[in-house]
Amino acid sequence: MNSQEKPKLIVDGKRLDGRGFDELRPIKIEAGVLKNADGSAYLEWGKNKIFAAVYGPREALPKHTADPEKAVIKCRYSMAPFSSLEEHGRSGPNRRAIEISKVTKEVFENVIMSENFPGTEINIFIEVVQSDGGTRAAGITAAAVALATSGIPMKDLPYAVSAGKIGDHIVIDLNKIEDNYSDADVPIAVSPRTGEILLLQMDGSLTKDEFKEVIAKVKKAGQIISKAQRDALKAPYERISNKYK
Amino acid sequence: MQSINSIKSTYIKELLNNGVRSGRGLFDYRNISVVRGIIPNAEGSAQVDLGSTKVLVGVKLDIDEPMPDKPNEGNIITSAELLPLASADFDTGPPSPEAIELARVVDRGIRAANVIDTASLFVEEGKVWSVFIDIYIMNYDGNLFDASTLASVAALTNTRMPKYEDGNVVREGKLEKLKVNNIVTSCTYAKVGKTIMLDPDGDEESVMDARLTIANDETYIRAMQKGLSGSFKEHEINDLIETSFEKSKDLRSIINKLNSD
Amino acid sequence: MEIVVPGDMILDKPIHMENTFIEDNKTYAAVLGIFDSEKKVLIPLEGLWYPKHGELVVGIIIEERLNSYVVDLNAPYKGILVAKYVRDKLSVGDIIEATVKELDETKTVVLMRERKLYGGKIIDVKPSKVPRIIGRNNTMIKQLTEGTKSTIIVGMNGRIWIKGGDVALTTEAILRIQEEAHTSGLTDRIREMLEKSKKAE
Repeated sequence: MNSQEKPKLIVDGKRLDGRGFDELRPIKIEAGVLKNADGSAYLEWGKNKIFAAVYGPREALPKHTADPEKAVIKCRYSMAPFSSLEEHGRSGPNRRAIEISKVTKEVFENVIMSENFPGTEINIFIEVVQSDGGTRAAGITAAAVALATSGIPMKDLPYAVSAGKIGDHIVIDLNKIEDNYSDADVPIAVSPRTGEILLLQMDGSLTKDEFKEVIAKVKKAGQIISKAQRDALKAPYERISNKYK
Repeated sequence: MQSINSIKSTYIKELLNNGVRSGRGLFDYRNISVVRGIIPNAEGSAQVDLGSTKVLVGVKLDIDEPMPDKPNEGNIITSAELLPLASADFDTGPPSPEAIELARVVDRGIRAANVIDTASLFVEEGKVWSVFIDIYIMNYDGNLFDASTLASVAALTNTRMPKYEDGNVVREGKLEKLKVNNIVTSCTYAKVGKTIMLDPDGDEESVMDARLTIANDETYIRAMQKGLSGSFKEHEINDLIETSFEKSKDLRSIINKLNSD
Repeated sequence: MEIVVPGDMILDKPIHMENTFIEDNKTYAAVLGIFDSEKKVLIPLEGLWYPKHGELVVGIIIEERLNSYVVDLNAPYKGILVAKYVRDKLSVGDIIEATVKELDETKTVVLMRERKLYGGKIIDVKPSKVPRIIGRNNTMIKQLTEGTKSTIIVGMNGRIWIKGGDVALTTEAILRIQEEAHTSGLTDRIREMLEKSKKAE
């Protein structure tokens, strides 16, 4: 695409929404918001609004999907038809949603101690009710909190964020318009305890060194995202404790 | 085989058979909260919490072709999804008969009450606005009908009308509000044995024999739907119609209060 | 007492504890919980039930097979009662209390010494809150039983059977204990709640 046709994403050294290159949009997470689910979380990340819920471990059905050695992890990422600023979306999972469901599932297959629950399934549901870029990263971040509230044992609390390149600059946390017009888009999920990468997708053009910069900036931003997850998990307990001090 | 839910609800079933309802009267609503504008990307939106039932409604408008039999009117398209995250009993996949029934009943009430004047959705020949009302059930604890109708109407009362300029839909800038002509609400009743109650919660729905939803405005009954395999006597239905006209006053005032805030 | 999340290191050496895992000779939390460094135990704040031999459970018969009954325990795995050892006449929909014998190869919970429970009401709570509902030396459950005059059977699987007395008050008290389980002074607050209700009669 002719770069003269693209909107300018960086004006006077700042991004269109006023953020610095390494700056995350505001993140707010609330744990345990849905009563029926075994675990749940609601997350706002910039304009993104996402509900995540977990059911399980429970009997794997249909029976042929069960694994006698461990729990089967199933994931459904879905966007509401009213979630975008543009036209009404179609109902039902499209190919993009199916791919995101798959790579999200693979993040949690890494950290959930599924050998503890052979023959069962663990269902992760991510519903995006409002979207503004970076929803798969936000969904993973919310689902990790939902899983922690379910008591399902995990080796870590993964977080995710989308990084990208705009012109010569590596930037963190692309919103929708940046996602559409950036020169590279890199969603990444990280296991903070080990620093290992659990999700990596990339689209665009990056040099080796630019990629290294991406990882470094992602891990730095990850500290803030991890803290938001942690605070959300502790908050209900602190709230009740404080009431009775 | 009886479901776990209904076995666990055997206790309340016995109470209900004797006309005893724990925690509230037979014709009391649970706590209701309505918040509009919760999804700014959508042209209109609202979230209703009815007890623990949580429903989100998003309204979007698009330019469409009119229906062949109504060339000068816009369209209202209502859908409902019983999201799997709302209950262990909801599955993924295409909408179930329950989801379809829910959407069609809510739609009937809104359409019959002329909440929106579909003639005002006409743009030019061959082009009209379609109003998409999407009901998203986020947590199930009974009475999806009343919560969904309330959320749909609340969302419509705060919906922006996009503009259609030079063949483009413009969703930004100063926009007019969608004109709402009338408010409709619904009251849903469950029958357990001989006892009838308003606003059944999840446990009560797991043991109910029959269900009746009555949608009305100030003057008219606008839609009705009886559900499940049990039956109602004629006088029971007449009594419930009376009750609905009475109880709907509170529901309408919730909507009106939103408009005046 | 600090709250830990999955992946937090709780000990610099490898000690086997429930709800934790060991890697590189260090012990890590596997669930959201509070680590009691004195007792060397991770108290889960949310959580699943891991059946142990001898534990009392409350279940619902959901299937009758040729030689056994399948029991719903509100847990990832079902329970099973071998028909020839069953004392009462059982049918689908019955509520029973039973004792955990063992887990078989498919992790089905083999139950023994069942007793049918008649009438009453079932509520399900988080298994991690059961110890608090029972209380140290049964103090909390005794207080509940005396204050409400209900018969209460608490299954370690988080399923509780309540019969007689003030069932609504018992339910309310148990749900409140679940909500405030990790705070101090709870026993006193529940006692106040029960007394206040008595006065209101």
